[in-house]
Amino acid sequence: MVTLNHYLILAAILFCIGFYGAVAKKNAVAVLMGIELMLNSVNINLVAFNRFLNPGEMTGHIFALMVIVVAAAEVAVGLALILNIYRQRLTTDVNDLDWLKW
Amino acid sequence: MQIQLADFALMMPEIATAILAIGLLIVGLVVPREQAKGISFLTVAGLVGIWLLNFLYWHENASLFGGIYIVDPYTVFFRFLFLTAAIIVALAAKDYVNTLERNQGEFYALLVAATLGMMILAGAGDLVTLYIGLELMTITFVILVGYQKKEAKSSEAGVKYVILGAMSSAVLLYGLSLVFGFTGTTIIADMVPRLTLSGASPLLLLGIVFLVAGFGFKVSAVPFHMWSPDIYEGAPTPVTAFLAVASKAAGLAAFVRVFLIALPELQPYWITIVVVLTAITVVVGNLIAIPQSNIKRMLAFSSVAQAGYILFGLVAFSSLGVGALLFHSILYVFANIGAFAVAIVVKNSTGSDEIKDYSGLAQTSPFLAAVMLLCLLSLAGIPPVAGFVSKFYLFMAVIEKGMVWLAFVGIMMSMVSVYYYLIVAKAMYLGTPNREAKPISVSASTQIALVICLVAVIFFGVYPTPLLDLAMNVGYSFFPF
Amino acid sequence: MEQYLALGIFLVVALVFGVVVLVVAGLVRPKKPSPEKLSTYECGLETQGPTWVQFKISYFMYALVFLIFDVETIFLYPWAVQFQKFGIFAFVEMIIFIGILVVGLWYAWKEGALEWL
Repeated sequence: MVTLNHYLILAAILFCIGFYGAVAKKNAVAVLMGIELMLNSVNINLVAFNRFLNPGEMTGHIFALMVIVVAAAEVAVGLALILNIYRQRLTTDVNDLDWLKW
Repeated sequence: MQIQLADFALMMPEIATAILAIGLLIVGLVVPREQAKGISFLTVAGLVGIWLLNFLYWHENASLFGGIYIVDPYTVFFRFLFLTAAIIVALAAKDYVNTLERNQGEFYALLVAATLGMMILAGAGDLVTLYIGLELMTITFVILVGYQKKEAKSSEAGVKYVILGAMSSAVLLYGLSLVFGFTGTTIIADMVPRLTLSGASPLLLLGIVFLVAGFGFKVSAVPFHMWSPDIYEGAPTPVTAFLAVASKAAGLAAFVRVFLIALPELQPYWITIVVVLTAITVVVGNLIAIPQSNIKRMLAFSSVAQAGYILFGLVAFSSLGVGALLFHSILYVFANIGAFAVAIVVKNSTGSDEIKDYSGLAQTSPFLAAVMLLCLLSLAGIPPVAGFVSKFYLFMAVIEKGMVWLAFVGIMMSMVSVYYYLIVAKAMYLGTPNREAKPISVSASTQIALVICLVAVIFFGVYPTPLLDLAMNVGYSFFPF
Repeated sequence: MEQYLALGIFLVVALVFGVVVLVVAGLVRPKKPSPEKLSTYECGLETQGPTWVQFKISYFMYALVFLIFDVETIFLYPWAVQFQKFGIFAFVEMIIFIGILVVGLWYAWKEGALEWL
């Protein structure tokens, strides 16, 4: 039987993997992918809570939809900026972003 | 949930702001590029109109659409704060925007959209609305920070902001999802009964820690402040002014609403974390500001420290604290934007942000130097100008709750801050100007912005009573304990 | 539950097998590393040029614009399901939403994001 706890643990693991990816990866695109993973783990949380705790309501589902859309907008802006950086310096390595003191 | 059309009437300022943002975008598309200069006028006129419209809502105390959105004096106060900041920034940004070859209209459209995000954040009554407002603000700021596509520093600051901003949003969101899971509702006001009934679980406490981290990033509290100096330095200066002031206030508005309205019963748990965060924010922000040689970085660290002072109001956990917090936030708007406005003018004229290039500014342009000096004194909290009174009340609020040591730390660090503010003053008044330095000419719109800041800083320092009473009343109606 | 047990045993055996084979091979094999052996292997040929090939930048512009408009349609599904129930109000609401998207598309068009250079 798959219970709420299983989903929560899955989400927690995904969140940690995403966080690790966002912190440890060098390529800016990979960092964005890590962040996507974090956001999607939140979506699992939201939908699972909604399904198991108050199945009659839709709040969690709507919240998850909003998160998906906002995440897409965020990634689009991030990719556009990375593209711009790439045009200037021909690199997407975040360690090379050292023109400002980091 | 029943949707009532009457509820929309209470949201008119937000709706008008949204229309203004999209309208500016369309105007920017339709109007030929040579006439794009009029857009700044349109922006300021529109924002002033909404500012005036907001007066109609002082005595409202309603929760709209089943609690999703709240219009109470607290919301209205923050609307005024954001609109004021947006108006002054729009005025001061005109010279900067005129130097852009293209995309002039979008700058103002984005500025207004960011203002809309902040207003929604301050008025949000449930977590979904809060998240949407937060992201509207963050994403528009990302674009504004990276606005100078040609300049590498600006793009780099934009990438850093989008990565760190998205990460902090994800952390905050994880916390929100845990709170939602625990209470079964996203309506902030409905959470209180469910939390008292069930007490605290480790999962909920974890959620609260995530919330503190996420909000701490948005208000740039130490140790989540690492992004701010870099991004403040890289972003175009008008954007930095807006980012340092308004986005911080917006993050704070949501922070205070979630923690005081939804989680007051759990105060014994979160207060420890927030107190520690506040204390180290004040100490670290002030100490690192001392060795900075770039004025934008110096102001960035000083704004980190200011965030610490403002958090005193949350720590105090009383209506006096909330009132003092509101009062200090609005004075901080004038003082900080005033200082940044001078930095914009100097940067446009000399092309430099270094403090040593302010040498002898008092001889070449006494007006600019005077504005800068008074704004910095207000930030430091020296008696004749505005910052003193508000800091006094913040410290009072903390002492009232028995945290004398925290007030002591605050006062000590205020003295430290005087030192680095006076370094700038010393350069301006005692330094000798360059031989070829000429008086800096200031355009009319920037002059208006400077005068607004100057008058506000002096007036509210000499005669703070009306604004103080107002802030205290708002604080009392928001959190009557 | 018993099917899961079988699956679990299978997984454990698979994991153990992989580890055992690697460990045994590591213990038994002779160790004589040379630069030639340690070089990167790619289809029996030496790697030539950077492995990160650059795509034409226009693909990304299209992808970004597509991404935004594609994801926004998410909101249309719940609306379409509940449309009858909410009536004229929801209709007006959605028209406003689509209107905002159209302004966005207009902007992208005017800025030349849709041109194939």
